[in-house]
Amino acid sequence: MKRCIIIGRPNVGKTMFALQFALYLGMAEARIQFAEAGGRRWEKPYRIAAALDDLTGAEPHRTRQLQSLCLELPAGKGTQPFELVDTSGLVDGIHPDPSIRRAMAQTLAAVREAQAILHMIDAAALGEAEAVNAIGEVDYQVAQFAQMRGGYLLLANKMDLPAARVGLARLKQEFAGHPIAPVSALYRQGFDEVKAFVRRHL
Amino acid sequence: MPVGERDLAPRTVDEILDWLAAGRISPGEAFGYVRRLETWSRQPAPPEPSQAPGSDEDARRQRVDAVLAELDALVGLAPVKELVRELAAFVEIQQRRAKEHLPTKPMALHMIFKGNPGTGKTTVARIVGRMLGELGALPKGHLVECERADLVGEYIGHTAQRTREHIRKALGGVLFVDEAYALARGGEKDFGKEAIDTLVKAMEDHKHELVVILAGYRDEMEYFLTVNPGLRSRFPVQIDFPDYTADELYQIARLMCEQHHYRLSPAAALRLRRVLEQRTHLLGHGNARFVRNLIERAMRRQAVRLVQRRRLSRDDLITLEAADVAAVALR
Repeated sequence: MKRCIIIGRPNVGKTMFALQFALYLGMAEARIQFAEAGGRRWEKPYRIAAALDDLTGAEPHRTRQLQSLCLELPAGKGTQPFELVDTSGLVDGIHPDPSIRRAMAQTLAAVREAQAILHMIDAAALGEAEAVNAIGEVDYQVAQFAQMRGGYLLLANKMDLPAARVGLARLKQEFAGHPIAPVSALYRQGFDEVKAFVRRHL
Repeated sequence: MPVGERDLAPRTVDEILDWLAAGRISPGEAFGYVRRLETWSRQPAPPEPSQAPGSDEDARRQRVDAVLAELDALVGLAPVKELVRELAAFVEIQQRRAKEHLPTKPMALHMIFKGNPGTGKTTVARIVGRMLGELGALPKGHLVECERADLVGEYIGHTAQRTREHIRKALGGVLFVDEAYALARGGEKDFGKEAIDTLVKAMEDHKHELVVILAGYRDEMEYFLTVNPGLRSRFPVQIDFPDYTADELYQIARLMCEQHHYRLSPAAALRLRRVLEQRTHLLGHGNARFVRNLIERAMRRQAVRLVQRRRLSRDDLITLEAADVAAVALR
Protein backbone atom coordinates (compact mmCIF):
# COMPACT_ATOMS: atom_id res chain seq x y z
CA MET A 1 0.00 0.00 0.00
CA LYS A 2 1.17 3.52 -0.82
CA ARG A 3 2.09 5.64 2.14
CA CYS A 4 1.91 9.32 2.88
CA ILE A 5 3.69 10.37 6.04
CA ILE A 6 3.29 13.45 8.21
CA ILE A 7 6.34 14.65 10.10
CA GLY A 8 7.26 17.76 12.02
CA ARG A 9 8.15 19.15 15.41
CA PRO A 10 6.01 18.22 18.42
CA ASN A 11 2.68 19.94 18.76
CA VAL A 12 2.50 21.46 15.30
CA GLY A 13 -0.75 19.60 14.68
CA LYS A 14 0.19 16.43 12.85
CA THR A 15 -2.41 14.18 14.44
CA MET A 16 -5.08 16.82 14.17
CA PHE A 17 -4.28 17.22 10.50
CA ALA A 18 -4.34 13.48 9.85
CA LEU A 19 -7.76 13.01 11.42
CA GLN A 20 -9.25 16.13 9.89
CA PHE A 21 -7.92 15.07 6.50
CA ALA A 22 -9.76 11.78 6.92
CA LEU A 23 -12.97 13.71 7.60
CA TYR A 24 -12.24 15.93 4.63
CA LEU A 25 -12.00 12.83 2.43
CA GLY A 26 -15.47 11.94 3.63
CA MET A 27 -14.63 9.19 6.08
CA ALA A 28 -16.44 9.32 9.38
CA GLU A 29 -14.65 6.20 10.55
CA ALA A 30 -11.27 4.70 9.81
CA ARG A 31 -9.14 1.79 10.88
CA ILE A 32 -6.08 3.07 12.70
CA GLN A 33 -3.02 0.86 12.98
CA PHE A 34 -0.73 1.62 15.86
CA ALA A 35 2.91 0.56 15.83
CA GLU A 36 5.07 1.20 18.87
CA ALA A 37 8.81 1.60 18.55
CA GLY A 38 9.19 -1.46 20.78
CA GLY A 39 7.48 -3.60 18.15
CA ARG A 40 3.98 -3.87 19.63
CA ARG A 41 1.27 -3.38 17.01
CA TRP A 42 -2.44 -3.20 17.23
CA GLU A 43 -5.33 -1.99 15.19
CA LYS A 44 -8.52 -0.25 16.15
CA PRO A 45 -11.51 1.01 14.15
CA TYR A 46 -12.14 4.59 15.20
CA ARG A 47 -14.83 7.11 14.64
CA ILE A 48 -12.78 10.13 13.63
CA ALA A 49 -14.63 12.39 16.01
CA ALA A 50 -13.75 10.11 18.91
CA ALA A 51 -10.17 9.84 17.72
CA LEU A 52 -9.86 13.62 17.77
CA ASP A 53 -10.71 13.53 21.45
CA ASP A 54 -8.50 10.54 22.19
CA LEU A 55 -5.40 11.21 20.18
CA THR A 56 -4.86 14.96 20.07
CA GLY A 57 -3.95 17.34 22.85
CA ALA A 58 -2.15 20.51 23.74
CA GLU A 59 0.90 18.90 25.31
CA PRO A 60 3.88 18.00 23.09
CA HIS A 61 4.74 14.36 22.34
CA ARG A 62 1.14 13.27 22.62
CA THR A 63 1.84 10.80 19.83
CA ARG A 64 4.52 8.28 20.73
CA GLN A 65 4.02 5.70 18.01
CA LEU A 66 3.20 5.45 14.34
CA GLN A 67 -0.51 5.78 13.73
CA SER A 68 -1.54 4.76 10.27
CA LEU A 69 -4.98 5.73 9.05
CA CYS A 70 -6.26 3.55 6.26
CA LEU A 71 -7.90 6.06 3.95
CA GLU A 72 -9.27 6.15 0.44
CA LEU A 73 -8.59 8.76 -2.15
CA PRO A 74 -11.12 9.24 -4.92
CA ALA A 75 -9.35 8.20 -8.10
CA GLY A 76 -11.22 8.22 -11.38
CA LYS A 77 -14.42 6.23 -10.99
CA GLY A 78 -13.24 4.33 -7.95
CA THR A 79 -11.02 4.96 -4.97
CA GLN A 80 -7.39 4.32 -4.20
CA PRO A 81 -6.61 3.09 -0.70
CA PHE A 82 -3.57 4.55 1.00
CA GLU A 83 -2.09 4.90 4.45
CA LEU A 84 -1.73 8.28 6.07
CA VAL A 85 0.99 7.80 8.66
CA ASP A 86 0.97 10.08 11.66
CA THR A 87 4.25 10.18 13.58
CA SER A 88 5.88 11.21 16.81
CA GLY A 89 7.35 14.71 16.79
CA LEU A 90 10.95 15.40 15.86
CA VAL A 91 13.06 17.65 18.06
CA ASP A 92 16.39 19.38 17.75
CA GLY A 93 19.25 18.01 19.80
CA ILE A 94 19.18 14.81 21.78
CA HIS A 95 16.01 14.16 23.70
CA PRO A 96 16.55 12.91 27.27
CA ASP A 97 13.68 10.41 27.12
CA PRO A 98 14.82 7.15 25.48
CA SER A 99 11.27 6.16 24.55
CA ILE A 100 10.85 9.40 22.61
CA ARG A 101 14.24 8.86 20.95
CA ARG A 102 13.13 5.40 19.87
CA ALA A 103 9.88 6.83 18.56
CA MET A 104 11.86 9.35 16.50
CA ALA A 105 14.06 6.61 15.09
CA GLN A 106 10.87 4.81 14.13
CA THR A 107 9.64 7.96 12.43
CA LEU A 108 12.84 8.24 10.41
CA ALA A 109 12.57 4.59 9.35
CA ALA A 110 8.96 5.16 8.26
CA VAL A 111 9.89 8.26 6.27
CA ARG A 112 12.17 6.15 4.12
CA GLU A 113 9.26 3.89 3.20
CA ALA A 114 6.81 6.63 2.34
CA GLN A 115 6.03 7.83 -1.17
CA ALA A 116 4.87 11.25 -0.07
CA ILE A 117 6.14 13.37 2.81
CA LEU A 118 4.10 16.11 4.47
CA HIS A 119 6.35 18.26 6.60
CA MET A 120 4.34 20.35 8.99
CA ILE A 121 5.45 23.67 10.48
CA ASP A 122 3.59 25.73 13.06
CA ALA A 123 3.25 28.97 11.10
CA ALA A 124 1.61 30.74 14.04
CA ALA A 125 4.54 30.04 16.32
CA LEU A 126 6.93 31.10 13.59
CA GLY A 127 5.05 34.37 13.18
CA GLU A 128 5.43 35.40 16.79
CA ALA A 129 8.00 38.03 17.64
CA GLU A 130 10.47 35.70 19.32
CA ALA A 131 9.97 32.55 17.26
CA VAL A 132 12.49 30.46 19.14
CA ASN A 133 11.46 26.90 18.62
CA ALA A 134 9.24 27.11 15.59
CA ILE A 135 11.78 25.79 13.14
CA GLY A 136 15.24 24.38 13.72
CA GLU A 137 17.99 22.15 12.51
CA VAL A 138 15.78 19.11 12.13
CA ASP A 139 13.46 21.02 9.80
CA TYR A 140 16.30 22.14 7.55
CA GLN A 141 17.72 18.61 7.47
CA VAL A 142 14.33 17.14 6.65
CA ALA A 143 13.92 19.66 3.84
CA GLN A 144 17.34 18.80 2.39
CA PHE A 145 16.63 15.11 2.71
CA ALA A 146 13.21 15.47 1.09
CA GLN A 147 14.51 17.59 -1.77
CA MET A 148 16.61 14.64 -2.85
CA ARG A 149 13.69 12.26 -2.41
CA GLY A 150 10.89 14.20 -4.08
CA GLY A 151 7.23 13.87 -3.08
CA TYR A 152 7.66 16.57 -0.48
CA LEU A 153 5.25 19.28 0.65
CA LEU A 154 5.66 21.76 3.48
CA LEU A 155 2.46 22.44 5.39
CA ALA A 156 2.25 25.80 7.12
CA ASN A 157 -0.31 24.94 9.80
CA LYS A 158 -2.43 26.97 12.17
CA MET A 159 -3.21 29.54 9.48
CA ASP A 160 -6.39 30.35 11.43
CA LEU A 161 -4.28 32.18 14.04
CA PRO A 162 -3.38 35.85 13.46
CA ALA A 163 0.41 35.43 13.75
CA ALA A 164 0.45 32.76 11.08
CA ARG A 165 0.40 35.23 8.20
CA VAL A 166 3.81 36.58 9.23
CA GLY A 167 4.97 33.07 9.93
CA LEU A 168 4.07 31.94 6.44
CA ALA A 169 6.07 34.82 4.96
CA ARG A 170 9.08 33.83 7.08
CA LEU A 171 8.66 30.22 6.12
CA LYS A 172 8.68 31.13 2.42
CA GLN A 173 11.94 32.95 3.01
CA GLU A 174 13.55 30.18 4.98
CA PHE A 175 12.47 27.37 2.67
CA ALA A 176 12.59 29.14 -0.65
CA GLY A 177 12.36 26.68 -3.49
CA HIS A 178 10.23 24.17 -1.59
CA PRO A 179 6.49 23.89 -2.22
CA ILE A 180 4.50 25.25 0.71
CA ALA A 181 0.79 24.81 1.38
CA PRO A 182 -0.86 26.98 4.03
CA VAL A 183 -3.48 24.99 5.95
CA SER A 184 -5.55 25.08 9.02
CA ALA A 185 -5.83 21.55 10.34
CA LEU A 186 -8.42 22.58 12.88
CA TYR A 187 -10.77 24.10 10.32
CA ARG A 188 -9.87 21.88 7.39
CA GLN A 189 -8.76 24.78 5.26
CA GLY A 190 -6.33 24.54 2.37
CA PHE A 191 -6.86 20.79 2.10
CA ASP A 192 -7.59 20.82 -1.63
CA GLU A 193 -3.99 21.52 -2.43
CA VAL A 194 -2.84 18.76 -0.08
CA LYS A 195 -5.20 16.27 -1.67
CA ALA A 196 -3.92 17.17 -5.12
CA PHE A 197 -0.36 16.70 -3.93
CA VAL A 198 -1.09 13.33 -2.32
CA ARG A 199 -2.85 12.14 -5.45
CA ARG A 200 0.11 13.16 -7.59
CA HIS A 201 2.61 11.24 -5.52
CA LEU A 202 0.80 8.01 -4.68
CA MET B 1 26.07 20.94 15.51
CA PRO B 2 26.62 20.68 11.79
CA VAL B 3 26.28 17.22 10.48
CA GLY B 4 29.37 15.32 9.54
CA GLU B 5 31.79 16.85 12.04
CA ARG B 6 32.13 13.54 13.79
CA ASP B 7 34.94 11.58 12.26
CA LEU B 8 32.99 8.34 12.51
CA ALA B 9 29.84 8.31 10.44
CA PRO B 10 27.28 5.52 10.58
CA ARG B 11 27.48 3.24 7.57
CA THR B 12 23.96 1.84 7.36
CA VAL B 13 20.49 3.16 7.93
CA ASP B 14 20.02 0.68 10.75
CA GLU B 15 23.10 2.08 12.41
CA ILE B 16 21.73 5.60 12.05
CA LEU B 17 18.45 4.53 13.65
CA ASP B 18 20.31 2.81 16.49
CA TRP B 19 22.40 5.88 17.12
CA LEU B 20 19.35 8.09 17.07
CA ALA B 21 17.52 5.84 19.53
CA ALA B 22 20.58 5.61 21.73
CA GLY B 23 20.90 9.38 21.88
CA ARG B 24 24.22 9.55 20.08
CA ILE B 25 22.90 11.79 17.32
CA SER B 26 20.00 14.19 17.06
CA PRO B 27 17.10 13.61 14.65
CA GLY B 28 18.47 16.39 12.46
CA GLU B 29 21.84 14.71 12.19
CA ALA B 30 20.11 11.42 11.53
CA PHE B 31 18.24 12.89 8.55
CA GLY B 32 21.52 14.32 7.29
CA TYR B 33 23.22 10.94 7.50
CA VAL B 34 20.36 9.17 5.76
CA ARG B 35 20.44 11.77 3.01
CA ARG B 36 24.16 11.25 2.42
CA LEU B 37 23.82 7.51 2.51
CA GLU B 38 21.01 7.57 -0.03
CA THR B 39 22.81 10.07 -2.23
CA TRP B 40 25.74 7.68 -2.40
CA SER B 41 23.58 4.70 -3.08
CA ARG B 42 21.90 6.55 -5.95
CA GLN B 43 25.22 7.11 -7.65
CA PRO B 44 26.37 4.27 -9.86
CA ALA B 45 27.27 1.53 -7.43
CA PRO B 46 30.98 0.74 -7.24
CA PRO B 47 31.82 -2.76 -8.47
CA GLU B 48 30.90 -5.32 -5.88
CA PRO B 49 34.04 -6.09 -3.88
CA SER B 50 33.18 -9.78 -3.92
CA GLN B 51 30.29 -12.01 -3.04
CA ALA B 52 28.96 -11.95 0.45
CA PRO B 53 31.62 -13.17 2.86
CA GLY B 54 29.52 -16.18 3.75
CA SER B 55 29.16 -17.53 0.24
CA ASP B 56 32.81 -16.82 -0.49
CA GLU B 57 33.75 -18.84 2.54
CA ASP B 58 31.47 -21.67 1.44
CA ALA B 59 32.95 -21.74 -2.04
CA ARG B 60 36.44 -21.93 -0.59
CA ARG B 61 35.39 -24.70 1.75
CA GLN B 62 34.02 -26.65 -1.18
CA ARG B 63 37.24 -26.30 -3.14
CA VAL B 64 39.31 -27.42 -0.16
CA ASP B 65 36.99 -30.37 0.33
CA ALA B 66 37.35 -31.24 -3.34
CA VAL B 67 41.13 -31.33 -3.01
CA LEU B 68 40.92 -33.44 0.13
CA ALA B 69 38.52 -35.81 -1.63
CA GLU B 70 41.16 -36.25 -4.30
CA LEU B 71 43.61 -37.16 -1.58
CA ASP B 72 41.20 -39.68 -0.15
CA ALA B 73 40.81 -41.25 -3.56
CA LEU B 74 44.44 -42.33 -3.46
CA VAL B 75 44.92 -45.97 -2.56
CA GLY B 76 46.47 -46.70 0.82
CA LEU B 77 48.74 -44.02 2.34
CA ALA B 78 46.58 -43.84 5.49
CA PRO B 79 49.22 -42.13 7.67
CA VAL B 80 50.00 -39.62 4.91
CA LYS B 81 46.34 -38.70 4.49
CA GLU B 82 45.96 -38.20 8.20
CA LEU B 83 48.96 -35.89 8.34
CA VAL B 84 47.81 -33.81 5.38
CA ARG B 85 44.38 -33.43 6.97
CA GLU B 86 46.03 -32.32 10.20
CA LEU B 87 47.96 -29.78 8.21
CA ALA B 88 44.85 -28.44 6.51
CA ALA B 89 43.05 -28.13 9.84
CA PHE B 90 46.06 -26.42 11.41
CA VAL B 91 46.34 -23.85 8.64
CA GLU B 92 42.65 -23.08 8.83
CA ILE B 93 42.58 -22.71 12.60
CA GLN B 94 45.62 -20.45 12.51
CA GLN B 95 43.78 -18.24 10.05
CA ARG B 96 40.67 -18.19 12.21
CA ARG B 97 42.82 -17.28 15.20
CA ALA B 98 44.40 -14.49 13.23
CA LYS B 99 40.91 -13.19 12.46
CA GLU B 100 40.16 -13.06 16.19
CA HIS B 101 43.50 -11.37 16.80
CA LEU B 102 44.78 -14.32 18.79
CA PRO B 103 48.48 -15.10 18.71
CA THR B 104 49.26 -17.47 15.87
CA LYS B 105 52.11 -19.83 15.48
CA PRO B 106 54.18 -18.79 12.49
CA MET B 107 53.49 -21.42 9.92
CA ALA B 108 56.53 -23.19 8.59
CA LEU B 109 55.08 -25.63 6.12
CA HIS B 110 58.27 -26.92 4.53
CA MET B 111 58.19 -30.67 4.34
CA ILE B 112 60.29 -33.73 3.89
CA PHE B 113 58.73 -36.68 2.11
CA LYS B 114 60.51 -39.92 2.83
CA GLY B 115 59.73 -43.06 0.93
CA ASN B 116 60.64 -45.36 -1.86
CA PRO B 117 60.08 -44.35 -5.45
CA GLY B 118 56.54 -44.84 -6.65
CA THR B 119 54.96 -44.46 -3.24
CA GLY B 120 53.01 -41.32 -4.14
CA LYS B 121 55.34 -38.52 -3.02
CA THR B 122 54.95 -36.33 -6.10
CA THR B 123 51.22 -36.95 -6.31
CA VAL B 124 50.72 -36.01 -2.68
CA ALA B 125 53.01 -32.97 -3.06
CA ARG B 126 50.83 -31.74 -5.92
CA ILE B 127 47.68 -32.19 -3.84
CA VAL B 128 49.27 -30.48 -0.82
CA GLY B 129 50.23 -27.51 -3.01
CA ARG B 130 46.69 -27.17 -4.33
CA MET B 131 45.29 -27.54 -0.84
CA LEU B 132 47.52 -24.78 0.57
CA GLY B 133 46.56 -22.62 -2.39
CA GLU B 134 42.84 -23.10 -1.73
CA LEU B 135 43.29 -22.54 1.98
CA GLY B 136 44.99 -19.26 1.22
CA ALA B 137 48.27 -20.24 2.87
CA LEU B 138 49.96 -19.95 -0.53
CA PRO B 139 49.05 -17.40 -3.20
CA LYS B 140 48.93 -19.93 -6.03
CA GLY B 141 49.70 -23.47 -4.96
CA HIS B 142 51.29 -24.80 -8.13
CA LEU B 143 54.09 -27.35 -8.07
CA VAL B 144 57.54 -26.98 -9.58
CA GLU B 145 59.48 -30.22 -9.74
CA CYS B 146 63.25 -30.31 -9.84
CA GLU B 147 66.19 -32.48 -8.91
CA ARG B 148 69.88 -32.12 -8.34
CA ALA B 149 70.70 -31.77 -12.02
CA ASP B 150 68.32 -28.80 -12.31
CA LEU B 151 69.76 -26.95 -9.35
CA VAL B 152 73.47 -27.62 -9.42
CA GLY B 153 75.53 -25.68 -11.92
CA GLU B 154 78.80 -26.25 -13.65
CA TYR B 155 80.96 -23.49 -12.28
CA ILE B 156 81.19 -21.34 -9.20
CA GLY B 157 78.19 -19.05 -8.88
CA HIS B 158 76.22 -20.95 -11.47
CA THR B 159 74.45 -23.08 -8.86
CA ALA B 160 72.99 -20.17 -6.90
CA GLN B 161 71.76 -18.67 -10.14
CA ARG B 162 70.08 -21.87 -11.33
CA THR B 163 68.59 -22.57 -7.94
CA ARG B 164 67.20 -19.08 -7.66
CA GLU B 165 65.64 -19.45 -11.07
CA HIS B 166 63.72 -22.50 -9.93
CA ILE B 167 62.72 -20.76 -6.73
CA ARG B 168 61.41 -17.84 -8.73
CA LYS B 169 59.28 -20.17 -10.81
CA ALA B 170 57.96 -21.82 -7.65
CA LEU B 171 57.09 -18.59 -5.79
CA GLY B 172 53.47 -18.68 -4.70
CA GLY B 173 53.52 -22.45 -4.80
CA VAL B 174 55.55 -25.51 -3.94
CA LEU B 175 59.14 -26.30 -4.92
CA PHE B 176 59.46 -30.07 -4.98
CA VAL B 177 63.05 -31.30 -4.90
CA ASP B 178 63.12 -34.97 -5.83
CA GLU B 179 66.01 -37.13 -4.67
CA ALA B 180 67.05 -34.19 -2.52
CA TYR B 181 69.71 -36.24 -0.69
CA ALA B 182 71.73 -36.09 -3.89
CA LEU B 183 72.48 -32.46 -3.06
CA ALA B 184 74.71 -33.66 -0.23
CA ARG B 185 76.33 -36.40 -2.19
CA GLY B 186 79.54 -34.70 -3.29
CA GLY B 187 80.74 -33.79 0.15
CA GLU B 188 81.95 -30.44 1.43
CA LYS B 189 83.34 -29.08 -1.87
CA ASP B 190 80.31 -30.01 -3.93
CA PHE B 191 78.07 -27.37 -5.47
CA GLY B 192 75.12 -29.22 -3.93
CA LYS B 193 75.93 -27.44 -0.70
CA GLU B 194 75.52 -24.11 -2.45
CA ALA B 195 72.11 -25.18 -3.73
CA ILE B 196 71.01 -26.07 -0.21
CA ASP B 197 72.23 -22.72 1.15
CA THR B 198 70.39 -20.85 -1.59
CA LEU B 199 67.24 -22.84 -0.85
CA VAL B 200 67.42 -22.16 2.87
CA LYS B 201 67.88 -18.45 2.24
CA ALA B 202 64.89 -18.37 -0.11
CA MET B 203 62.79 -20.18 2.49
CA GLU B 204 63.52 -17.35 4.90
CA ASP B 205 63.08 -14.55 2.36
CA HIS B 206 59.82 -15.83 0.93
CA LYS B 207 58.32 -17.29 4.07
CA HIS B 208 54.74 -16.65 3.01
CA GLU B 209 54.92 -17.50 -0.66
CA LEU B 210 57.02 -20.61 -0.89
CA VAL B 211 56.81 -24.11 0.48
CA VAL B 212 59.78 -26.37 -0.14
CA ILE B 213 59.32 -30.13 -0.16
CA LEU B 214 62.41 -32.31 -0.15
CA ALA B 215 61.76 -35.86 -1.20
CA GLY B 216 63.80 -39.02 -1.40
CA TYR B 217 64.51 -42.52 -0.11
CA ARG B 218 64.00 -42.88 3.58
CA ASP B 219 67.53 -43.89 4.51
CA GLU B 220 69.23 -41.44 2.21
CA MET B 221 67.07 -38.57 3.46
CA GLU B 222 67.90 -39.50 7.05
CA TYR B 223 71.58 -39.38 6.17
CA PHE B 224 71.05 -36.09 4.35
CA LEU B 225 69.51 -34.54 7.47
CA THR B 226 72.33 -35.83 9.64
CA VAL B 227 74.87 -34.20 7.37
CA ASN B 228 72.93 -30.93 7.34
CA PRO B 229 71.68 -30.73 10.92
CA GLY B 230 70.32 -27.21 10.42
CA LEU B 231 67.76 -28.50 7.96
CA ARG B 232 65.78 -30.70 10.30
CA SER B 233 64.37 -27.74 12.25
CA ARG B 234 63.53 -25.88 9.06
CA PHE B 235 61.41 -28.74 7.81
CA PRO B 236 58.97 -29.32 10.63
CA VAL B 237 56.69 -31.56 8.61
CA GLN B 238 58.15 -34.97 7.87
CA ILE B 239 55.97 -37.49 6.17
CA ASP B 240 56.83 -41.15 5.77
CA PHE B 241 55.41 -42.79 2.70
CA PRO B 242 54.93 -46.45 3.48
CA ASP B 243 55.41 -49.05 0.77
CA TYR B 244 52.31 -50.33 -0.90
CA THR B 245 51.21 -53.81 -0.02
CA ALA B 246 50.42 -56.25 -2.82
CA ASP B 247 46.73 -55.66 -2.11
CA GLU B 248 47.06 -51.92 -2.50
CA LEU B 249 49.04 -52.32 -5.69
CA TYR B 250 46.27 -54.50 -7.05
CA GLN B 251 43.71 -51.81 -6.18
CA ILE B 252 45.87 -49.24 -7.93
CA ALA B 253 45.98 -51.46 -11.00
CA ARG B 254 42.19 -51.80 -10.95
CA LEU B 255 41.82 -48.04 -10.66
CA MET B 256 44.18 -47.41 -13.54
CA CYS B 257 42.28 -49.83 -15.74
CA GLU B 258 39.02 -48.15 -14.81
CA GLN B 259 40.37 -44.70 -15.60
CA HIS B 260 41.43 -45.84 -19.05
CA HIS B 261 38.23 -47.80 -19.62
CA TYR B 262 39.82 -51.22 -19.57
CA ARG B 263 38.71 -54.25 -17.64
CA LEU B 264 40.72 -57.17 -16.34
CA SER B 265 39.32 -60.54 -17.21
CA PRO B 266 39.04 -62.81 -14.15
CA ALA B 267 42.04 -64.80 -15.27
CA ALA B 268 44.07 -61.63 -15.87
CA ALA B 269 43.15 -60.33 -12.44
CA LEU B 270 44.30 -63.54 -10.85
CA ARG B 271 47.57 -63.48 -12.70
CA LEU B 272 48.14 -59.81 -11.91
CA ARG B 273 47.69 -60.50 -8.22
CA ARG B 274 50.22 -63.30 -8.36
CA VAL B 275 52.74 -61.14 -10.19
CA LEU B 276 52.38 -58.32 -7.69
CA GLU B 277 52.74 -60.66 -4.74
CA GLN B 278 55.84 -62.20 -6.21
CA ARG B 279 57.34 -58.82 -6.92
CA THR B 280 56.67 -57.29 -3.48
CA HIS B 281 57.97 -60.44 -1.86
CA LEU B 282 61.06 -60.34 -3.98
CA LEU B 283 61.96 -56.68 -3.56
CA GLY B 284 60.54 -56.16 -0.08
CA HIS B 285 58.51 -53.22 -1.31
CA GLY B 286 55.88 -52.37 -3.82
CA ASN B 287 55.81 -49.52 -6.21
CA ALA B 288 52.98 -47.82 -8.00
CA ARG B 289 55.16 -46.88 -10.91
CA PHE B 290 55.84 -50.55 -11.55
CA VAL B 291 52.10 -51.17 -11.60
CA ARG B 292 51.57 -48.37 -14.06
CA ASN B 293 54.21 -49.75 -16.37
CA LEU B 294 52.68 -53.19 -16.00
CA ILE B 295 49.23 -52.00 -16.98
CA GLU B 296 50.46 -49.83 -19.82
CA ARG B 297 52.43 -52.75 -21.15
CA ALA B 298 49.39 -54.94 -20.88
CA MET B 299 47.40 -52.43 -22.88
CA ARG B 300 49.97 -52.50 -25.61
CA ARG B 301 50.11 -56.30 -25.58
CA GLN B 302 46.35 -56.39 -25.91
CA ALA B 303 46.55 -54.05 -28.85
CA VAL B 304 49.03 -56.30 -30.61
CA ARG B 305 46.83 -59.30 -29.91
CA LEU B 306 43.73 -57.62 -31.31
CA VAL B 307 45.10 -55.72 -34.23
CA GLN B 308 45.16 -58.80 -36.50
CA ARG B 309 41.55 -59.70 -35.85
CA ARG B 310 38.84 -58.83 -38.34
CA ARG B 311 35.88 -58.59 -36.07
CA LEU B 312 36.15 -56.93 -32.69
CA SER B 313 33.38 -56.49 -30.17
CA ARG B 314 33.30 -53.63 -27.70
CA ASP B 315 34.00 -56.21 -25.04
CA ASP B 316 37.17 -57.34 -26.80
CA LEU B 317 38.46 -53.80 -26.88
CA ILE B 318 37.88 -53.33 -23.17
CA THR B 319 39.16 -56.59 -21.77
CA LEU B 320 42.75 -57.29 -20.78
CA GLU B 321 43.36 -61.05 -20.87
CA ALA B 322 45.68 -63.08 -18.71
CA ALA B 323 48.04 -63.47 -21.65
CA ASP B 324 48.58 -59.71 -21.82
CA VAL B 325 49.58 -59.54 -18.19
CA ALA B 326 51.68 -62.66 -18.26
CA ALA B 327 53.63 -61.43 -21.21
CA VAL B 328 54.81 -58.51 -19.16
CA ALA B 329 55.43 -60.45 -16.01
CA LEU B 330 57.72 -62.89 -17.73
CA ARG B 331 60.01 -60.20 -18.96
